[in-house]
Amino acid sequence: MIRLIGVSKIYRRGEVAVPALRDLHLDIAAGEFVAVTGKSGCGKSTLLHLIGALEPPTAGQVWVEGRELGALSDQELTLFRRDRVGVVFQSFNLLPLLTLEENAALPRVLQGAPYEAARQEARRWLTEVGLEHRLSHKPHQVSGGEMQRAAVARALINGPAVLLADEPTGNLDSAASAQVLEIFARLNRDWGQTVVLVSHAPEAAAYASRLVRLHDGRVAA
Amino acid sequence: MIPWFFRLSLRHLQVHPGRTLLGILGIALGTAVYLSISLAAASALKSFSAGVSAVAGAAQWRVRSPGAPLPESLFQEVRRHPQVRAAAPVVESVVDLAGPAGGSLLLLGIDPFLEIPFRAYQFQEGEGLDQEALVSFLTEPRRILVSRPLAARLGLKKGDPLPVLVGARRETLTVAGTFSLPGGLYPLEGAVALMDLAHAQELLGRVGQLDYLDLLGTGPQTGDSLARDLPPGMEVVRPGALGRQMEGLVASYRLNLSVLSAIALFVGMFLIYQSVTLSVVRRRREIGLLRTLGMLPRQVLLLFLAEGVVSGIVGGALGLLLGVGLARAALGVMTQTLTSLYTPVEARELVIQAPLLLQAWLLAVAATLAAAWLPALEAARTRVRAVWHREDLEERLESKAGLIALAGLAALGLAGALSLIRIQGGPPLPGFAASFLILLAAALCTPWCARTLGRGAAPLLRRLLGPAGDLGCRYLAGSLSRSAVSVAALAAALGMLIAVAVMIGSFRQTVENWVHRSISGDIFFGPAVFSTAAYDHFLPPEILPRLRQDPEVADIYLYRCVRLPFRDRYVLVIGGSFEVLAKYGGLWFRQGQTDEIMARVGRAGEAPPAAPDGAQGVAVISEPLAETFGYREGDVLELPTPSGVKRLAIAGVFYDYRTDGPSVWMDIRQFRRFWQDEHLNAVRLYLKDKSRLAAFQTRLQETFGRQYRLLTLSHQQLKDGILEIFDQTFALTYALEGVAIVVALFGIITTFLVLILDRERELALLQALGASRRQILGMVLVESGLASLLSFLLGAVSGALLSLLLIFIINKQAFGWTIVFYWTPAIYLQTLALVLVLGLAAGAYPAWRALQPHLAAILKEE
Repeated sequence: MIRLIGVSKIYRRGEVAVPALRDLHLDIAAGEFVAVTGKSGCGKSTLLHLIGALEPPTAGQVWVEGRELGALSDQELTLFRRDRVGVVFQSFNLLPLLTLEENAALPRVLQGAPYEAARQEARRWLTEVGLEHRLSHKPHQVSGGEMQRAAVARALINGPAVLLADEPTGNLDSAASAQVLEIFARLNRDWGQTVVLVSHAPEAAAYASRLVRLHDGRVAA
Repeated sequence: MIPWFFRLSLRHLQVHPGRTLLGILGIALGTAVYLSISLAAASALKSFSAGVSAVAGAAQWRVRSPGAPLPESLFQEVRRHPQVRAAAPVVESVVDLAGPAGGSLLLLGIDPFLEIPFRAYQFQEGEGLDQEALVSFLTEPRRILVSRPLAARLGLKKGDPLPVLVGARRETLTVAGTFSLPGGLYPLEGAVALMDLAHAQELLGRVGQLDYLDLLGTGPQTGDSLARDLPPGMEVVRPGALGRQMEGLVASYRLNLSVLSAIALFVGMFLIYQSVTLSVVRRRREIGLLRTLGMLPRQVLLLFLAEGVVSGIVGGALGLLLGVGLARAALGVMTQTLTSLYTPVEARELVIQAPLLLQAWLLAVAATLAAAWLPALEAARTRVRAVWHREDLEERLESKAGLIALAGLAALGLAGALSLIRIQGGPPLPGFAASFLILLAAALCTPWCARTLGRGAAPLLRRLLGPAGDLGCRYLAGSLSRSAVSVAALAAALGMLIAVAVMIGSFRQTVENWVHRSISGDIFFGPAVFSTAAYDHFLPPEILPRLRQDPEVADIYLYRCVRLPFRDRYVLVIGGSFEVLAKYGGLWFRQGQTDEIMARVGRAGEAPPAAPDGAQGVAVISEPLAETFGYREGDVLELPTPSGVKRLAIAGVFYDYRTDGPSVWMDIRQFRRFWQDEHLNAVRLYLKDKSRLAAFQTRLQETFGRQYRLLTLSHQQLKDGILEIFDQTFALTYALEGVAIVVALFGIITTFLVLILDRERELALLQALGASRRQILGMVLVESGLASLLSFLLGAVSGALLSLLLIFIINKQAFGWTIVFYWTPAIYLQTLALVLVLGLAAGAYPAWRALQPHLAAILKEE
């Protein structure tokens, strides 16, 4: 379902080139829960950004559901991000202006769904992650764990082919972390949701069905 | 410890110089506009006063007869008076230079021997005044001594001819030499010439007459003692009083410009408020940390106040530089207006007065201090350890929006109460205070209006534009701490623009109607058709009999005007042919029957009225005179005339928009009885066949044009000319408004830049979630469009209220004019179009910036 062929990513800061990924090859099958681990700066987040079409690779190809992302137009990439990918960030990235319900409904609204229908779906997903009592709260009025669970609901609302999670427990205490990771595992187990989770925390990896270790921008043997 | 903290401010300035600089620029522009008006007005008046002092010299007293010449025989009488040490007779007139350079020339007729104790004219040797030149100056007619600056400017040498226009006559004077005045101070920037008294009397048609006598007395009681012994109608004054009277004359004009210029500074204050607020919001974590580390609330307050004040200090200083430059431009416009409305003024050099610079700079600093106070206080109140979320501030502001709006309504109520206060004379300060309160009220209502508009428009725009419309509305309603200030600033500037435009539009329409209704006549003919200041420009006496014999002329209206000091102002006294005027519609009176009033004034011209109230004459007075001094129809006015103080019954009050000087109008026959003066300044001709107008005009020019300089204007030309002067007068007002708009636009551009930059992460997230570029752009444009629309709506409402205040309260109190309110929808539409285009453009650039694809970088951890 996801295939990375000879992918490199080099960041340039002025004269300095910082390689994040080097000639990386990786296959992820549909329904897998993959945990990507490695030291800080090994390219974990970059890998996730490439799969989620948040940035293009410097070299190589990224294939998702049989489509090579480099061949897609700007418009197609936007639709791909909207319809096929759900992203959960370390810093939650909820819009402070919107309630949790509205935040979760946002991708559906952007997809063009009727406002009420989108909110109804959001309520369902928020209930799924245990936030039915926080629907009309704004992000700064709830805890970090609750914010992250709302972000998960938002990532799921459009029925993505792949759920990408970038250090989703990095800002959470252990209890909240466990709750969030449990949700990912349940989604994968019960719904067959493909999940790619990036984390440096060893306990996060324990929830995954497969572990990929990165070292200096390559998959470690 | 304190200076160390300021390093933080400096670092922020280094990182975000643009935001601070825009705030500074706003204050700089506001200061510059304020200073330029102060400097230009002060320079024009200083030049006038310097001229008055230079001509007055050492004179302690001046004998004059307001609005009339003195008989020459009076000189010997005064000279022999026991309280008088020395006396010098003078005739003076402002003539026009006929050469290509043009301009005015003050011609002083003097007796050089009697002048010695008064004025230190330094007659130049060599090229100047030698023995032969002195003899020629004294003995030959039309010989003049010109000032050194004038000689230098026009390149004049001894023996050169100088063509001038004396009233209507073309004359050529000859330069006998040059003179200078100590200190280099001259009236009319040096455009002054001396002529022997007798020759000047002859040239000006004033043989046996003097304009004034300058005196040196034996003691302080000279003035009073002499005044008692003088014939009626004459007065003894201090020469310096002239400068003060001039200041009084233009006081209202000057005050109005000053207040308008202060508006630009007021708008600048919003920018500083916004700049400090943004700084506080951006640095909320830093403040929380500093408070945790032990910084006291007052230190936080000081830190942010200091940032605001430094903006004021720097912006104010920049404003001073800019203001001096602007003042040079404003000076030209202002002297032109003063000359066409009041009296000839020449001021080429800007007088830079340190107190005015200091005043403008201190005003800038005080304005920024006031503007920075509230956000700095907010910062100081940040709780220890509380990381101050911007959302907290937004929620606080959102929850208080209703209360703040109520304060706005209270301000509006106070403005209403202030506008009801009627003042008699003096500047309309309650009216000005009310206008600032109206602007303040609009500003205070802005957060509530933004919240309501954002929430109210959301369902509609969601249906029309989808999520872009919905989010744009929400952002407007949810970013009050930032957007409301900009909206308020732009609303204030637009409000003033609309108010001033409606006021000027209504005023112009009123003047046009007034010209149509109260100025009759087919042709206006004379040396002084436009200027009410050209009292000694006469229609050559030989012309009138020829006009009377002309078979094409049906009627002739005679016009004579003098200006005299009246209480602390000047008053124009006009003598006119009322029976002719009555035939062609008369004047426009504010109450009473026009026919009856005109007939009553006309009858008083035939013979003095036998009035039971002891009135010695009948006159009508202008509305500004009635308003300024509280006269009503039926009252008696005591008017000083050369025949003594005359009690005149006020038959009516007429609308008059010539100048803001009050005027008294009477039948010319009555005028001549009081003034013993047969001169005419102009005539109006009524033709038998109106279709012959153009041909008759050409014939008049051909007949008299070669010999005299006389204006021959048709009614349409006169109307156009009056409106041209009108537009010139308000050119500066428009310029001031333009600057206020520019300052406000800085505000809106900065706001959207900052709003979008602050929200860069959120916009990137939206893109990551699948929002298309079109949706993001649409969202930002909906927000900026709504903000602009709200600015317009608030500006339109406050502008409408302000225009009513300007028209019915401020102008009425300052100038005494009744302006009829004319609804001008075009200005609203133009303003709406302008603000929407600019507002959308202001949002488009940051939106375009936000669309640059750096999603991953932006979404990374801070």
